[in-house]
Amino acid sequence: MIKKFIHQFASPKTYLYQVSRFYKYIFYFSLVIYILSIIWGLFFTPEDFVQGNSYRIIYLHVPASFLSQTLYLAMAISSITYLIWRVKLAAYLIIAIAPIGAMTTFIALISGSIWGIPTWGTWWQWDARITSTLILFIMYLGLISLHNSFSNHEKADKLLSWLVIVGAVNIPIIKKSVDWWSTLHQSASITLTDKPSIDPVMLYPLMGSIIGFFGLVICLVLLSSKYQILHREKNKSWVKDYV
Amino acid sequence: MFKLEFLKLRKKTRSWLGPILVFWLIMLAYPLTVEFLQDKLEIGFFSVLWIALLISMMLATEDIFSEDYNDGSLEQTLIKNPTFSIIIVTKIFTYWLLIGLPISILSFVFSLGTTENLSLSLSILPLAIISSYIFLNLFVLGNALSLNKGSVLGALVTMPLALPVLIVLGKGLIAIQLDINYQSFIFLLLGSLSIIIVAIPIVVSYVIKAHLE
Repeated sequence: MIKKFIHQFASPKTYLYQVSRFYKYIFYFSLVIYILSIIWGLFFTPEDFVQGNSYRIIYLHVPASFLSQTLYLAMAISSITYLIWRVKLAAYLIIAIAPIGAMTTFIALISGSIWGIPTWGTWWQWDARITSTLILFIMYLGLISLHNSFSNHEKADKLLSWLVIVGAVNIPIIKKSVDWWSTLHQSASITLTDKPSIDPVMLYPLMGSIIGFFGLVICLVLLSSKYQILHREKNKSWVKDYV
Repeated sequence: MFKLEFLKLRKKTRSWLGPILVFWLIMLAYPLTVEFLQDKLEIGFFSVLWIALLISMMLATEDIFSEDYNDGSLEQTLIKNPTFSIIIVTKIFTYWLLIGLPISILSFVFSLGTTENLSLSLSILPLAIISSYIFLNLFVLGNALSLNKGSVLGALVTMPLALPVLIVLGKGLIAIQLDINYQSFIFLLLGSLSIIIVAIPIVVSYVIKAHLE
C-alpha cells in the first residue's frame, strides 16, 4: 500500500507539475515572512543585556544552522526511500538537496564566526559543535564529488544513498555536541520539550525568520530538483511537452 | 575463509608492509622537525601519532578491493556467496591483524620511547587498537564507494566520518594525562566499533553489489 502510494504521488512528472503550481506561493509567502521577521528582529527588538546588538545575527545563524541539519536528514530519508522502494524522485532529491545543504552549512559557519568575534573574542574555536558542523560541510562536499565522479547516474545514486545513510550518524553528534562536551557554543535555547530560554520579544521574530528561511530554502530545493528532473528525464516525451 | 584472505594479503608484501613503514617514517620524522625542542617532544607527539595512525589506515585499504575487482574475482565471490558481508568482515579483520595491530603496538613503543611513561603508554594501546579498527572499517567503506575511481575520492568522502573518532581520541588522551576516568572514552570507542563492525560490512557489500550490477 505504501509502495503504491509513493509510486503514485512521487512520479517525477506529477512532482514537476505540482512544483510549478505551488512554487510561487511558497516563495512569496516565505519571502514576506522572512523580510518582516528580519525587520522586526533588527529594528523592533531591544538590545541584549550581555551581547548588545551582535546577537541580532541569530536571525540568519539559527535558521541556517537548523536547515543545515534538517536538509541532511531529508537527504537521509530520501536515501532510505530510494534504496527500499526504488523511487527515482527520491534519488533526484538527494543530489538536489546536497549543494543547498552545503550552502546553508557554509552560511551557518560564516555567520557563527562573525558572531564569535564580538561574543567570544575569536572567530573560530575547535569545540565540538563548530567542528562537527565543519565536518557536516565537508560531508556535503564529499557527497557532491562522489556523485559527480560517476557518469552512470543510477550507480551514482545508489552509492550516494548509502554514504548519506552512513553519514547521518553525524547529525545526532552535532545536535547533542553541546550537551555531551563542554563547549564554548551555548546549548539550545529552543527545544521541543522545555520552555524556550530566550525572551519572547526575541523569540517571535526568530521563529518567523526560521519559518521564512525554511520556506526560501525549500524553494531552492524545489528549483534544484526541477533542474535534476529535467536533466535526467530529458529523453522522456512528457519532458519535451513540458518544456 | 580467513586463512585464504590471510595468505592473499601476506603474499602482497607491499600492501601490508607499506602502511607500517609509512607509520614508522612519520613517527621518526616527527622528532626531526622539532630538533630544538627535544625535551618538549611530548607536547605534539600524540597529535602526530593519531594522524599517522589515520593516514596509515587510509593507505592500508588503498587496494583492498581494486585487484579483486579488476580480475573479476570479486564478482565471482559475490555470486557464489550469499553472505558476502561475512567475507568483508573477514577481509577487514585480516587487514587489521596484519596492519592495524602491528601499528597499534608500534604506537605503544613510540609512546614509551617518547614519554618514558609506561602507564601512559599502556593506556594508549587500547585506544590505538580500537581506533585503528574503526579507521580501517571507515576507509574500507570509502574504497568500496570509489572502487574504480581511485582511493583519494574514497578518503575524501569517509575522512569526515573519522574526524569524530579523532576528537574522542584527543579527549581520551587529556583524560589519561589528567588521570581522570579515561575508560569511558574506551567504552565510547568500543560502542562505536560494535555498531561499525556490523553496519559497515553490510553497507560495503551493498555498495559493491551496486558497482557490479
